[in-house]
Amino acid sequence: MVLAIFSTTAAWAFAHAQVGSTIDNVEMPTLAGGKQFLLSNASANVFVFFKPGQEHSRTTLTQIAASAKDMATQSVHWVAIVSDRFLTPEVEALVQETGLTMPVLIDAGDTLYGKLGVALTPVAGITDKDHKLVAYQPFSKVNYVEVVRARVRHLLKEITDEQLQAVLQPPAATQGGAASVARRYLKLAEKLLQAKNHGKALESVRKSLENDPALAAAHTLLGQILLAQDKPDDARKAFARALELDPNDAKASEGLKATSPSTK
Amino acid sequence: MKPQNPNRLRRGAVLLTAALAVTLAWAADAPKKDAKKSSGPPVPKLKKNDLAPLPAGEKPASSHAPFEDGDCSLCHKSKDPKNPGPITTNVNAQCLGCHEDFAPILARKSSHVAAKENCCNCHNPHNARQRKLLVESGSTLCLSCHEAIRTLTVQAKVKHEALTQGSQCSNCHNPHGANVEHLLVQLPFDLCVSCHGKDDVKDDQGKKLTNVKSLLDANKEWHGPVSQKDCSACHQPHGSANFRLLAQEYPPQFYSPYDPKLYGLCFECHEDTILAQPQTTTLTRFRNGGTNLHYVHVHKTERGRTCRACHEVHASKQKHQIRDAVPYGSRGWMLKVNYTQLPNGGMCDKTCHDQRVYTNSVPVALKAK
Repeated sequence: MVLAIFSTTAAWAFAHAQVGSTIDNVEMPTLAGGKQFLLSNASANVFVFFKPGQEHSRTTLTQIAASAKDMATQSVHWVAIVSDRFLTPEVEALVQETGLTMPVLIDAGDTLYGKLGVALTPVAGITDKDHKLVAYQPFSKVNYVEVVRARVRHLLKEITDEQLQAVLQPPAATQGGAASVARRYLKLAEKLLQAKNHGKALESVRKSLENDPALAAAHTLLGQILLAQDKPDDARKAFARALELDPNDAKASEGLKATSPSTK
Repeated sequence: MKPQNPNRLRRGAVLLTAALAVTLAWAADAPKKDAKKSSGPPVPKLKKNDLAPLPAGEKPASSHAPFEDGDCSLCHKSKDPKNPGPITTNVNAQCLGCHEDFAPILARKSSHVAAKENCCNCHNPHNARQRKLLVESGSTLCLSCHEAIRTLTVQAKVKHEALTQGSQCSNCHNPHGANVEHLLVQLPFDLCVSCHGKDDVKDDQGKKLTNVKSLLDANKEWHGPVSQKDCSACHQPHGSANFRLLAQEYPPQFYSPYDPKLYGLCFECHEDTILAQPQTTTLTRFRNGGTNLHYVHVHKTERGRTCRACHEVHASKQKHQIRDAVPYGSRGWMLKVNYTQLPNGGMCDKTCHDQRVYTNSVPVALKAK
């Protein structure tokens, strides 16, 4: 199902410009006056369509402005595009409110909207240095600009395919579970051993092992506690088990050596 | 049940001193926040909790093992329960010393300010009337800071049972940290479908709801937000004034006079010009030459067809979420749309009207009704 989702997502595009097609570079008037090209020869070009009076545009521009600032040293050309249907003071107010410093291009007569087939706002397009459209990203209420940033970073080869996928499909935010409980009892047992409370330390480390019998560090600590209780034979078994699980456990090696019959 | 520890009552009283010390340490730890400097949503003001152990004789729902066992010195400078003194380091370092698995959780992309700042914003380090040492029950605790959400849930005409059932807020949010914004445990779709991918889910009025997973499995042309796993694009999961927890207004009927306000939901993303301009050669391909057929269908003072007349909202078998059939009459009869996409336009046949063909280039002469 996940694959289906992302194959569908990958097929998304502007109505008249598919991902993989080349975007015509056009010179457009800017909000600040003068003219500016839509695209540049930077490694990545990001163009974001927005409109005033829309909460999604406000959120997007705020975060895009922050991203452009964060990535200021990278070869990324950022522009925002607004239709000339909207009043200049409204656009200026939104630009000021969101802290947008990138050029704002004015789409006279919705020419670019029509040429690309822009049906949704806000929406971002990302091209490579050859102006090939590599991503089309309509707004989403969660993780939107994070996805745009990840797509730019992927284009710049700063992140791998796997890292991009982890942003597009974040892993579930799980917590707890037997392994975590085991670690917790282990830490508590360590503190109790430091406090020379051997009985409680033993109780705690045994709870740790109940939750994760394969936790090598817990077997090592069990050995250390047993050794502190003057039970070297039992301690040796615990150190040996720890080394079976983790041959690189230095403390277990040390413990085994200290409790081996030849050392006694 | 654990036997009553004879020392516990005495400890409970004297550990008030310890609790005071912890409270002071917490206050000293708290960073001075300036909400205006944050680029994220406003940070709710944190309230300070009473971190004293429960009164002697009161049975706690949860108790911290070191406190229960009288091991004060595991956290405090002294092992004397009568005078344990301050804790040995700052609160979160103290907690993470044993609960080390929470360090990477708190470091996730979306982290809870309250948790990062101080575990004791939500947990009592001694014992509590709630599970997991929480100072209040799940949603009560969350909503004590998240007042806007509380107001929304109280005022909502349409309620979402996910907020009051099971783990309440934690059904969808991880209060420590998550990989999705707003502390969501997963992307919205993955969370929603864990309940709405079943056949027996009902709304707050008892009406059976669609099994979204089955719907999507059978219909492979998905609405953009569905493909993006963003149910929250259209639904407000905390409660809404609109049917089906819709985030904005959307006409519930088949017919409706055209009023842009009624389409607030659609216009959150879609361009409103698609319904407002009678003539276009750029806004849509559903046009006969320059005649905007969206306008023709929807923009009427009476009996304007709403979006749902022709489009499915979640998924369809045809592109652009065009429906196979539309409900007609009160008996659930479905009238076929019989839409066919053509190279330069399309056609609907024997449906609400006789066959009508449209092309994007040279307009086709439409038959009079």
